[in-house]
Amino acid sequence: MKDNFSVVIFYSNSAAIRAESLTKKENLKIKLIPVPRHLSSDCGICLRFNNEDKSKIEKILQDGKVEYENIYRI
Amino acid sequence: MWKNFFNSRKNIIFTGIFIGISAAYLQKLGNPPNMGICVACMLRDIAGALGLHRAEVAQYIRPEIIGFILGSLLAALIFKEFKPRAGSAPLVRFVLGFLSMVGALVFLGCPWRTLLRLAGGDGNALFGLAGLIVGIWIGIFFIKSGYNLGRNQRTHQLVGWIMPVIMLGIFLLLIFQPHLSSGAVFFSSKGPGAQHAPIFISLIIAIAIGFLAQRTRFCTVAAVRDAILIKDTYLLTGVVSLLLAALVSNLTLKQFHPGFQGQPIAHNSQLWNFGGMVLAGLAFTLAGGCPGRQLFLSGEGDADAAIFVLGMVVGAGFAHNFATASSPKGPGLWGPASVITGLIVCFIIGFSMSDLGKKQMGDKK
Repeated sequence: MKDNFSVVIFYSNSAAIRAESLTKKENLKIKLIPVPRHLSSDCGICLRFNNEDKSKIEKILQDGKVEYENIYRI
Repeated sequence: MWKNFFNSRKNIIFTGIFIGISAAYLQKLGNPPNMGICVACMLRDIAGALGLHRAEVAQYIRPEIIGFILGSLLAALIFKEFKPRAGSAPLVRFVLGFLSMVGALVFLGCPWRTLLRLAGGDGNALFGLAGLIVGIWIGIFFIKSGYNLGRNQRTHQLVGWIMPVIMLGIFLLLIFQPHLSSGAVFFSSKGPGAQHAPIFISLIIAIAIGFLAQRTRFCTVAAVRDAILIKDTYLLTGVVSLLLAALVSNLTLKQFHPGFQGQPIAHNSQLWNFGGMVLAGLAFTLAGGCPGRQLFLSGEGDADAAIFVLGMVVGAGFAHNFATASSPKGPGLWGPASVITGLIVCFIIGFSMSDLGKKQMGDKK
């Protein structure tokens, strides 16, 4: 079965790292990956997660006051 | 289909190979040895041509720099990625650009030339490469500690066009080579500044590189950063391809001369080969990319990257005027002091613009 992923794009790499540590604490299955080329020409990193965790991720980012640009399905 | 063509790993490999082969051939066609392409050296030569420094052997308007920016602009316009943006700590980026150039000129090369020097057999570049990796590694420490330069903002279209227009301006100076009573525009009559491939060949190859790099996000510093930070090797495969392609081309063209002594435009003071690139690597990482990448970003409208590039140009003027740049004889009089000062400044920037500084200054709620 193929996983369905989304990514959170941040304004800085530090924010992506912070988001990673916050979501890891909640035992969510996430991974930092380079921002997919079709989403941005920036060479930054973003957080990939399973679609089903979207609401949890949004809440964690909101509670942790991590600013992000957008969430995209990939 | 074209959108996807540039997406996959084979395209970053193709880009790396294209840059590697191009650099070897540009050297064959007249560019200085192991310097077929070097963003730092070439910006330094432009600074010299404009009269910002008086190193008479390093004055030429390098069309490669112009081509990188225009190629990236072209790709960004075609693929609708030209996005004028600005306002992410520009003055800090200027300082980082300045310091990265000071460090690069102690080693004598940017990350690209580090690879090209290795591909030409220059063993001294191993120390530069080690320094570069250590510098990036220190930068990653700051990124992990919350370091960031703040968000940029979308801005007026005009802002994105400033850097490409400056490039067109200096291209006209190259073509018409006006001579004012001040002596400007300065062109070297001997030394590396006098060695160059035919203008239009350089320009066309550079436009192609700028185009490919904009599409693939080729970046030597982010390559190492991603490999260490998130264990991703996409960009690194491009960098390795560049190195191997340049090596094979140099062997074919009989430009491979292994050794440590008498390497072209290089010195063998290993401590400062290493130290210079620690400074450069750290400054690049804090600014988010290698100098090549900063040029490509300038071309697609990133005014902050353009400020970094201008910082590099001014840094080159400073490095030669104040004897911090090395020569084949060894580091300049003030080279070691400039590296240490530069590292201190980078550490202050890293600390104060991350969570480390916030905790100490007590402004974290």
